[in-house]
Amino acid sequence: MIEKLQTLWPEITLFIAACAVMIVGLSGTRSIRALCTPICGLALLIATFLSLGGLGGVDITVTGPLPVLASYGKAMVGVIGVILLLLIPGVVDREFDAAPGGPGEAPQPPRAFEAIRSNTAEFHAFFLFSLMGLMLCAGADDLIWLFLALELTSLPTYVMVTISTARNRSLEAGVKYFFLGALGAAIFLYGFALIYGGTGSTNLEAVHASIVAQADAGGINSITMAGFVMAIIGLCFKIAAVPMHFYTPDVYQGAAAPVAAFLAFVPKSAGFFAIMLLTATLGWSFGASGTELPGPVHSALYIIAVLTMTVGNVLAILQNSIKRILAYSSIAHSGYMLVGIIAGPGGGGGADSTLSRNGLSAVWFYLVCYGVMNVGAFAVVASLERRRADGTHDEIDSVADLRGLCASRPLLGWTMVISAAGLLGLPPLLGFFGKLPLFTSGVGAGHYLLVIILGINSAIAAYYYLRLAAAPLLESRDPAESVGGEIVESPYRLRTAAGLISAVGVVALALGLGGPLGSAATSVGQSGFAPSYVGRRAADRSPAVIPAAAHTVDDEPRDVEPAADGSVDGATIESDGGPPDARFDHAR
Amino acid sequence: MLGTLAQHGTDTVGDGAAAAGAHVAHAAESIAAATPGAELMLAVPALTLLAAILCGLCAAFRVRSKLPAWLSVGCLGASFVCVLLTYLNLAGEHGAGGIVPRIAHGFEWLTFQWGRGGTGGEGRSFVADFSLYVDSLTCLWMLFVTGLATLIGLYASEYMVGDVKTAGYSRFFAAFNLFVLSMSCLVMADNLVLLYLGWEGVGLCSYLLIGYFYKKPSAVAAAKKAFIMNRIGDLGLSLGLMLTFVHFGTVQFNELWPLIQSYASGATPTPFIVQLIPVLFTVGAFGKSAQIPLYVWLPDAMEGPTPVSALIHAATMVTAGVYLVARFLPIYALSEWALPIVAWGGALTALLAATIGMAQFDIKRIMAYSTVSQLGYMFAGLGVLGSVGAASHVFTHAFFKALLFLACGAVMHGFAGQLDLRKLSGVQKMPGWRIVGLTMLVGCLNLAGFPLITAGFWSKDMILADAFSHPQFRAIGWILLITAGLTAYYTFRVYFRVFMGPKYFEPGDELHAAAHGDDHGEAHDAAGHVTHSAAPHGQHMAAEGALAAKGHAHDHGHADAHGVFHPHPPGWAINLVLTILALATFAAIPLFFIGDHHGWVGDLVHGSSSNPASAAAAHEAAMHGHGPHGGSFLGMDPHAVMYYVSAVVGIIGIGIAFVLHLAGRTTPATSRADALLPALGPIARAAQHKWYVDELYGVLFVTPLRVLSHIFHLIDKLLVDGLVNLFGWLPRGIGSFVRRSQSGVLHDYGLRMASGLAIILLIVLLGVLR
Repeated sequence: MIEKLQTLWPEITLFIAACAVMIVGLSGTRSIRALCTPICGLALLIATFLSLGGLGGVDITVTGPLPVLASYGKAMVGVIGVILLLLIPGVVDREFDAAPGGPGEAPQPPRAFEAIRSNTAEFHAFFLFSLMGLMLCAGADDLIWLFLALELTSLPTYVMVTISTARNRSLEAGVKYFFLGALGAAIFLYGFALIYGGTGSTNLEAVHASIVAQADAGGINSITMAGFVMAIIGLCFKIAAVPMHFYTPDVYQGAAAPVAAFLAFVPKSAGFFAIMLLTATLGWSFGASGTELPGPVHSALYIIAVLTMTVGNVLAILQNSIKRILAYSSIAHSGYMLVGIIAGPGGGGGADSTLSRNGLSAVWFYLVCYGVMNVGAFAVVASLERRRADGTHDEIDSVADLRGLCASRPLLGWTMVISAAGLLGLPPLLGFFGKLPLFTSGVGAGHYLLVIILGINSAIAAYYYLRLAAAPLLESRDPAESVGGEIVESPYRLRTAAGLISAVGVVALALGLGGPLGSAATSVGQSGFAPSYVGRRAADRSPAVIPAAAHTVDDEPRDVEPAADGSVDGATIESDGGPPDARFDHAR
Repeated sequence: MLGTLAQHGTDTVGDGAAAAGAHVAHAAESIAAATPGAELMLAVPALTLLAAILCGLCAAFRVRSKLPAWLSVGCLGASFVCVLLTYLNLAGEHGAGGIVPRIAHGFEWLTFQWGRGGTGGEGRSFVADFSLYVDSLTCLWMLFVTGLATLIGLYASEYMVGDVKTAGYSRFFAAFNLFVLSMSCLVMADNLVLLYLGWEGVGLCSYLLIGYFYKKPSAVAAAKKAFIMNRIGDLGLSLGLMLTFVHFGTVQFNELWPLIQSYASGATPTPFIVQLIPVLFTVGAFGKSAQIPLYVWLPDAMEGPTPVSALIHAATMVTAGVYLVARFLPIYALSEWALPIVAWGGALTALLAATIGMAQFDIKRIMAYSTVSQLGYMFAGLGVLGSVGAASHVFTHAFFKALLFLACGAVMHGFAGQLDLRKLSGVQKMPGWRIVGLTMLVGCLNLAGFPLITAGFWSKDMILADAFSHPQFRAIGWILLITAGLTAYYTFRVYFRVFMGPKYFEPGDELHAAAHGDDHGEAHDAAGHVTHSAAPHGQHMAAEGALAAKGHAHDHGHADAHGVFHPHPPGWAINLVLTILALATFAAIPLFFIGDHHGWVGDLVHGSSSNPASAAAAHEAAMHGHGPHGGSFLGMDPHAVMYYVSAVVGIIGIGIAFVLHLAGRTTPATSRADALLPALGPIARAAQHKWYVDELYGVLFVTPLRVLSHIFHLIDKLLVDGLVNLFGWLPRGIGSFVRRSQSGVLHDYGLRMASGLAIILLIVLLGVLR
């Protein structure tokens, strides 16, 4: 237990900070309330530092399917969390801040602070809780842990969506998101339950051992398979993939842009972490070539990936709302990343794996790239608001609102151009280098058709991303259009800064600074299990982590005594051991 | 092809632990990389990039001084020192010939692996790092590239002074540095992809700098012409690059050499693809180095500022094609057609360009045609496997042609853009022009191949001897010999017309042109007394007139209140650079008499991949200096007799020029040569019109392409657009169909999610599990 706790230093840091902002955020003094953001930022930076091993004193890697994911996954959450944090000020409790007046007017005085109407404390705390859940996902080694972590990621976001604006739209979005999210959670929880039923354990290592044993004994039983398929379909809700994608555009549009940016990254990452862990538990040692996921999971993911990319892209074409375009594109990007999951770690995911061959590394790398680029696009939306004649303000929404932005507000305009071109995957920007490993890992695994579909979809995506890039750069603004009120820059300049940081990141990470990121991604994709390929060959049964044991596998004798199965249970299932040997009764 | 692949694949499998191909590949590299010492070369791209960025910042922060020039000259000079130190370090123990190729690893740039290395052996990798391949050939090229770039940067600091009050000055130096960066990538690349990056980079910089006066339509047209012609060549190079990877499975030089060598024994017939690769490279080289049929861009490129013409379009960039062929001489030696194509292409270009050069009146254009012609010499030299002669000529040509251009530039600078040799005469006798005249004379002697005392003589001679020593290339030898005579004639035609004879000048039209004045308004307003000046040099002089009394003794107003024009002799920077270059051409002569292989350059070439001996062995032909010579010059040993023959030919050319253009000439516009024109009839006019090649290309390519483009446009509009619209409509159609599912109603969504789950489960569990 203590050993487990010491892998949780980053989460513990965030938890302490969440408690702190709950108190600080209720202060009657504005300057003290304003401390919420720095506290969160500090906590995230410390968490990132701890995730990367502190000064060598903290080792937070876990034993499990992807041991390094715990470290780099949490670090990634910390870094992108800081950028997302910059968007947060001004989302709630704006009435308690001084509102800048129109041109020539004096700033309007803020309303007197009422703790009961204030949401600052909760909002920041929920923000941290959600990120904490995401970090817990990265370090999960147990199905129950994983489920709780996923829910900890999602539950705060339901509230964040609902309170993000004072309009009914947010309320509607929050309600939809909550009910559909509950449905999705129910599905993957059911899947988890079936996995437990089929393998007798919730511990991922034990599940893996059991699957290897079942495969050797003639085939994985249907209950386990059904469990994995259902779990993955349920997780499609988190990553906004078909058939669970319906909520995405409505919720993104209903939420304020900073929260939409949060939704596009945090639950999606949680879902992908979970899918990576589950598929890595299964292992890519099935199918005709011995390098695929088990048939049912493979074909389910295949169908989902193709549909997700296609549906996301074709629907994005028809949109005029920036947030809906970004929502559909977020769906499409999930489809792209599923290609990496289907491709798998290639070559066993041992010490020799590389970013271009390892699909899991590619997925993690793409998540980082997507996180950075996506924040840029949403930050531009968050930084611009339409001020109405009556003094109320609203976020811009239509692509037409971006026209001529490069001329009027060069920083924001170019941020949008760079982010959109990056999301499109235009070389030499970050999106290109993010997408490339997905392509190469797909080709490496021999899924040519899937890669072709990925290519076609990337081309379709150009249609709407180029609209987002062309509107600020090439089109000019017609003054007669400002019917609904003039478009002004948000007084919360940190949002502009967030956009700038991500735009600089899109360029800088692509121009050679992405090297460390690439090597981090490479290690993320390394499997924690001894490879058990090829062709369902008997694998090393020891649950110990042997990342570089590629040679020994092939040297193992093919025939393994049945008695070995029993020893597996004894060795792996520690605390929550299911009924020993009973699972094979279920299985057959 | 399969053989190589299998070999590559076996290595990969043999590595056992599923190691990627790259790891094995790096094993070979580690041999070379084990001997460090070339890391300092990495400073060259770093310094030039730094200088380019700093110049860009100067533009952004509106620096209106000579700061960008000094930054550039400083960085370029530092990179020259780095190259020199590296060379001295590498050559320290065993001399120039003993340089072992080294790899200076910069950073990992492109690394892709696919397939599974461990199981099936079908694992492939593609590795192109930002690494520098430093051998003696690299050193040779880098020494003159960085050295000349420094000198010409210094020259440009004065030459471009007219634009110092605008952003143009920073823009010029930013592109200038970017050019040196690209050129260093090209020359020092350790793989074809980085070479290609540099190749495209120099093309881009060339485009930017030719079109520097972007308000001048002719400059813009010339820039576009250069870019398009280069693109045609680049297509060839990129195809060659791809074929190289497809066939050999790698683009890294040190992995390629052994693979290429495996064919050199002649035990296995060279596959068609391997023979095709050098031909495609040749297309690229002919585009970049302006050879038939892609040479027409280079004369037009003289629209750029003269320092650019000197550095890019005479000394360095245009030799990139020569470098490519020299670097890949081993693979050229394997091909039946590639070397004859190179040799004949070069020889014919040399002759054609020389005949055009004889009939032109614009001195800068004459120099441009002479560049084309001299590049033809180099290719002819390479084509007859005389890589030593070719590289020597590249080296000497770089200095004397830069010198010639810079001297012409000084004239252009001083006479308000006047370049017509009929309107200038006796310049050398004018006050302040002595250094320009003398250095011009040195350059002309080099170009004409004046015997013994010029470096150009020794290098040109080597190529001629090489050509004659191959019986099958004897015709090329004769063509080159005739060209040598023509070259001597047209070179001294320029010198005798412009620098000798009676003193006379007409200022160029830049004093009166009104094309390019907007940016520089305040400059000539301040000058006050120049009323009509508008074009760049016009104002620039006017600006100096306003600033007055800086460095020069006499009145700086070039056009006084009465409109009388005074020529503007060059300042210290221009004179210094010209003097250094002139001395350098003399300093190059002793280099021909040291070392074991026809001089210092010969040693360098022998130590590199373009070693002519091994190439010749691979080509199964005898090479000069090694074994018996196959050919002869009129029955004599070409290497012994060519010194005298080419000396005589050169002096005859100069003599004819003297008789026709200097002796007894009293007016600048006419000479005795004019009397000969009727005798030549249409030939002279055709040569003056560049043999109507531009028009021919217009008829052959441009017009048909234009017609074709109209036809295609029609097809495009009716058929393709229809299809595209269909495909464009398809996603939209699907979209609007699928969109209906986005009803926004909560229970609809729930229902759809559940049915989606059900459908997928059904497909998966029934379909897959049967």
